Amino acid sequence: MKTLAWWLIRAQFRTRRAATLLSMLAIALGVALGYAIHLINAAALADFARAMQTVQGDPDAVIAARDSAGSVALASINDIARDPAVMVIAPVIETRVRVDQARLLVRLIGIDVFSAAAVMPRLLPRHSERALTGSIFDGGVYASPALRDKLGLQDGAPVTLRRGDQQWSTRIAGDLPAAGADDLLLVADIAWVQEHFGPDDAVSEGRVRLSPDTDPARWRATLTPQLPAGLLLRAADDDNARVSNLSRAYRVNLNVLALVALLTGAFLVFATQLTAVAQRSTQFALLGVLGLSPRMRLLQVLLEGLAIGVPGALLGLGLGYALALAFTQLLGGDLGGGYFATSAPLLVPQPLPALAFLALGCGASLAGACYPAYLNRMQPLAQALKTGFAQRPGAARAPHTRLWLPSLLALAALALTQLPPLFELPLAGYAAIALVLVIGISCAPVVTQYVFGYLARPGLPAPQQIALQNVAQAPLMAQVAASGLIVSFALTASMVIMVSSFRVAVDHWLDAVLPAPLYLRSKATPLPQELLQALLRPDAPFARIERTAHASLTIDPQRPNVALMVREIERGNPGARLPFTGAVMTPPSDDLVVVWISEPLHEIYGIQPGQTLRLPLLGGAVEVFVGGVWRDYSRQFGALVISRDDYLRLGGDFQPTDLALWPLPADAAGEAAGAWLAPYTSRYALELADAAEIRQLSLSIFDKSFAVTYALEAAAMLIGLFGLAVTLAASVWLRAGELATLGALGFSRRMLSRAVMLEGALIAAVGLLIGLACGIAIAAVLTQVVNPQAFHWRMPLDVPWSAVVFGALATLAAAVVASHYAARQATRLPVAQVLASAQ
Amino acid sequence: MLTVAGLAKRHALASRPLFSDLALTIAAGEIVALVGESGIGKSTLLNCIAGLETPDSGSIRIGPQALDIVRLDEAARAVLRAHRIGFVFQAFHVLPTLSVAQNIAVPLLLCGVPLAEHAPRTQALLERVGLAGFADRWPASLSGGELQRVAIARALVHRPALILADEPTGNLDPRTADEVLALLLDRVREPRASALIVTHSQQVAQCCDRIVTLTADGLR
Repeated sequence: MKTLAWWLIRAQFRTRRAATLLSMLAIALGVALGYAIHLINAAALADFARAMQTVQGDPDAVIAARDSAGSVALASINDIARDPAVMVIAPVIETRVRVDQARLLVRLIGIDVFSAAAVMPRLLPRHSERALTGSIFDGGVYASPALRDKLGLQDGAPVTLRRGDQQWSTRIAGDLPAAGADDLLLVADIAWVQEHFGPDDAVSEGRVRLSPDTDPARWRATLTPQLPAGLLLRAADDDNARVSNLSRAYRVNLNVLALVALLTGAFLVFATQLTAVAQRSTQFALLGVLGLSPRMRLLQVLLEGLAIGVPGALLGLGLGYALALAFTQLLGGDLGGGYFATSAPLLVPQPLPALAFLALGCGASLAGACYPAYLNRMQPLAQALKTGFAQRPGAARAPHTRLWLPSLLALAALALTQLPPLFELPLAGYAAIALVLVIGISCAPVVTQYVFGYLARPGLPAPQQIALQNVAQAPLMAQVAASGLIVSFALTASMVIMVSSFRVAVDHWLDAVLPAPLYLRSKATPLPQELLQALLRPDAPFARIERTAHASLTIDPQRPNVALMVREIERGNPGARLPFTGAVMTPPSDDLVVVWISEPLHEIYGIQPGQTLRLPLLGGAVEVFVGGVWRDYSRQFGALVISRDDYLRLGGDFQPTDLALWPLPADAAGEAAGAWLAPYTSRYALELADAAEIRQLSLSIFDKSFAVTYALEAAAMLIGLFGLAVTLAASVWLRAGELATLGALGFSRRMLSRAVMLEGALIAAVGLLIGLACGIAIAAVLTQVVNPQAFHWRMPLDVPWSAVVFGALATLAAAVVASHYAARQATRLPVAQVLASAQ
Repeated sequence: MLTVAGLAKRHALASRPLFSDLALTIAAGEIVALVGESGIGKSTLLNCIAGLETPDSGSIRIGPQALDIVRLDEAARAVLRAHRIGFVFQAFHVLPTLSVAQNIAVPLLLCGVPLAEHAPRTQALLERVGLAGFADRWPASLSGGELQRVAIARALVHRPALILADEPTGNLDPRTADEVLALLLDRVREPRASALIVTHSQQVAQCCDRIVTLTADGLR
């Protein structure tokens, strides 16, 4: 039996070479994209985790301030150190500095060498004999190899480290031999760092190593309630979770896109196998008559599907590795997502994921072959032997009875869109999208039957009449061809609509968040007082200046930090500067501090406007009133704004990091303002940009991050068109006898060709119309469910009609070309020969 | 060899049964011609005997074990067909994607005959049907008569007990039809197989051991 199966597979590959190869390639493409994304993400995460471990070591617990303005008092460190369960606690001060005039911000980590040796051995410096300077205890700093290369730092070279107005002139005393290839680090003694950059009598973190007989989880649970309000105790696992959460939704979204490619691959296998089954129905019927069991007829088609899937998936693995290599070199480890700032990470293929993707490719191919295999199993042998492929082996049902399935599915899809995220991912949303596609496909027969049955009225010219009748009868092949276009056009249209909606929303948002003509920023280090004082002088060429200080705070240790922006904003009129999504609430009392939270913060933590809550601010827990939710497409993990007055009232130290500048009316172009600021920007390596530049940069980053989706859209449309061409050709092939009969009755080749082309165009029109409806529905799910749940931002649905209609018309034109090919095939053979062979 | 008893069949949309209470016995080595008007149910009777259609009632027993094909499930019917029945069709039905030798070997594969035996058996049959040297040819290059010879070889290669033939010469010119018929009868008689041949041709029917006619009232 194996021999027979092999003969049939070989014959199938020989006679349908192009269709089989393209199905294989489609599966390969899906597997390649999925596997490449997996490889890149795994490598980038491992790289990032390793870099974190270099800096953080492997502590049992980390005690840290909840907000970036806070710190851990040395008294707290000493208290913990006295705990008998604590073997050692390594205090750390971490800050960001500029080295000399370089624009780059570098992490400066102050350590105590003795405790660091126990907890963070990879941060230990190596003193250089050539440095001719004092050791770490004498104030030398040690640079990682990557930083030395980047800035050309030599042992013994003098360097000035700057943070705002604070600065420290010292020398490079050696390197950090255990630092990773991408780590840009400086390490110095904690006392020296504290002396020059603060904080006094406090440190940034204490990293704890417990005695071996202590249960870390229990110890943390006991100590946490005793900590002051502004401190938190986190585990090393929390950091891993935070790294993973950073890009999780982005990774899942990319994987879903790869699955879409795999789905279209599965659909192509379906179209190929269905046409193969239809074309060989007489042969399979004969084999059945000769004694091939129904089970074997089913297995044969599944085996043929697998014979496409296995080489396709294997090819996909190789292609995926090559793609991953190319992507990491071109776009970095986050595929342009902006989550990890590392160079190309090292790709390490593991057997288990490779096997999983191999299985996924084979599974997709098998899934595509399932229905054709079932049809082959169900073919009535005697009838198939006599009249060929039976399109509906079961009893035919009235059209209206076929509406209950799409109706039920629509209800289920609607219900799915109402579900909250599962495992913090929009899994129900993705399921709803899959259901929308199934609804579209299951509607196709009813729509074709109703629409074209209505159009096919008597009196039409014969070719049109025949074409309309054929589509109205909705033979299986026509439905398959339409289904291919429904799937591919729905996915393409939905992506176009979603990306357009998002782009329009970002464009409007940029209008709201960039009110000033000029912006100056120092990348999260305080702006120099010299500049801030100069701006207050009457000769400063500015009509208005608004200052902002950036900080961060930790609400959940397992999630990335939340951005805190202290802004010069009117407490009574925040809407003048923030694009609110709903009403702005007034606090019940003027004494209550007001914060305005970003949409992601509202979505992630479920914080509601009008709510009062305690936030970790300035080393304590402060009761704040949530005054409203504003749209933010920039900080995916949440941000909150507090007015400078409230912040100062709480005792905060307002150190601006960003400036919004309005030049004087006489200097509309901002040239005088730029010239006035030039000495400061060059001296302190500050960034000055006008609003138009920022807008252009933001939109170009946006376009770059969606570039991969355009490639997928093109692939989906090509696959859909190819599916249409394959199925139309097969449909025509199956009706060769019928067309030859029409030829014998007096239809010219031109009339037959026109009828087939019209049929193709009508099928494509049905597919495109249903596809467009599904595409709009999917785009609505993407913008209203998937995006808010995955990325925590919403956007209004905006259909770019011109682009969508142009795409539909282009596809229709391509479908007509494909139909022309099928028509040529149909009318190429001599009528007499076809009629003779059909007897 | 073949015993049909009390067979009845009604088509779903027909007002009266196609046939009812049919009885037919074919002895081992006997060749029977089945004749009758078009649409009377000859092919349906043949399909029922082969287990391709299920009668409404009655029994059909084939072979020495006298298995009732009506009572078997679809898979068991396929096994029975593979081992006990050989088919010859009017439209030849030779698989276009397999070579001549592969086409003839298909029943051997379905019966589980060891691969080593395939070549000698197909070669011997090719010689006996006058197609020596055609083993590696593709069906597309063969004439109608040659294709039917391939079909006859395929029907006999696994030494079935019963040959069912549906208009085996219907698509052939008179001279080729005579040759093919003679070949078919000779090759069926050689191993003492039984045969039921559906035909409209009196000439074909006259060459058989017995003629039965299917009418609206039953078999005569």
